[in-house]
Amino acid sequence: MVQPVLEWQAGRVTAIRPETRQTKSFTFALPKWMAHRPGQHYDVRLTAPDGYQTQRSYSIASPPERLREIELTVERIPDGEVSPYLHDVLMQGDELEVRGPIGGYFVWDVRLGGPLLLVGGGSGVVPLMAMLRHRAAQHSTVPTRMLYSSRSAEDVIYHDELDGMAAASDGFEAFYTFTRQPPAGWTGYRRRIDAAMLAEVIKPFDKRARVYVCGPTLLVEAVANALVEMELPIEQIRTERFGPTGV
Amino acid sequence: MDRDEPDMNTALMVDGNAVAGQLEQIFGRDMTMTIARCAGCARDAQLGALMAFIRGPGVVLRCPACQNAIARIVETPSAIYLEARGAAYLRMTPQG
Repeated sequence: MVQPVLEWQAGRVTAIRPETRQTKSFTFALPKWMAHRPGQHYDVRLTAPDGYQTQRSYSIASPPERLREIELTVERIPDGEVSPYLHDVLMQGDELEVRGPIGGYFVWDVRLGGPLLLVGGGSGVVPLMAMLRHRAAQHSTVPTRMLYSSRSAEDVIYHDELDGMAAASDGFEAFYTFTRQPPAGWTGYRRRIDAAMLAEVIKPFDKRARVYVCGPTLLVEAVANALVEMELPIEQIRTERFGPTGV
Repeated sequence: MDRDEPDMNTALMVDGNAVAGQLEQIFGRDMTMTIARCAGCARDAQLGALMAFIRGPGVVLRCPACQNAIARIVETPSAIYLEARGAAYLRMTPQG
């Protein structure tokens, strides 16, 4: 099967939804939509009046079961070139150049099975959410655990939806850790993800776990190194680092 | 001060997956699962798993085992340069 040439297309913004103080979800209707694999991303390109162009990659948050449109959840990076434009300028009805879906490396779908451990830091949860939404849409019962690191409860993206998924008792469990300000009365994890925490969360899956890790580079480094120390086979570990923004 | 200070470099590093779009533009197919054999240490790694440095004027892809520069990509208004001296070879599955 020859895949279609990757080309830029104009996506029309059909919805903008704030998720947290720093993140918004943008829905784009795409004239040349094609089904993606959960975990893939789109490139977004901005062109200034003088012809200067800049682009960034953003993970798809929506599942492939959602047809003809994609949702990207974007964190606003204060000194960024693209995300402040998306957050502060882009409006419903506007068009934006996008190309995708891109990447065959950091992907999971139900055919790959589990057990599945998803580890996210900050907006690193976005591609993991596409996997979880796909899992739910397929009524999959693949044993799945998510370990999600945020600064505070207000910074947890998709909090209600994740809690709803966990309440469905279909084999999904969510574990949160808060690195700055845990909610009042919180008895769970309150530190950066470390080897001891990973060992606890991965325990029922042991070395069979397929692990997807997405977040700031230093978090991904720490998690990947800890997993290798646990002698998890390296081909079962997939990482996506998105650079220096810290959690 | 020192921009080559190791922690800074580590923090700025992303995965080869981050340049998947650029690679697909050049090769006309997804390249993230393509294997590169490092010409320095002979380790095999998927392009999506290479260490990628994308904040400079071009892209540098490095071997995750020995940090040898596997490939560099520079785009100018009129051309794309892909230098891949650091790869002994690329191995990909046939399409079609």
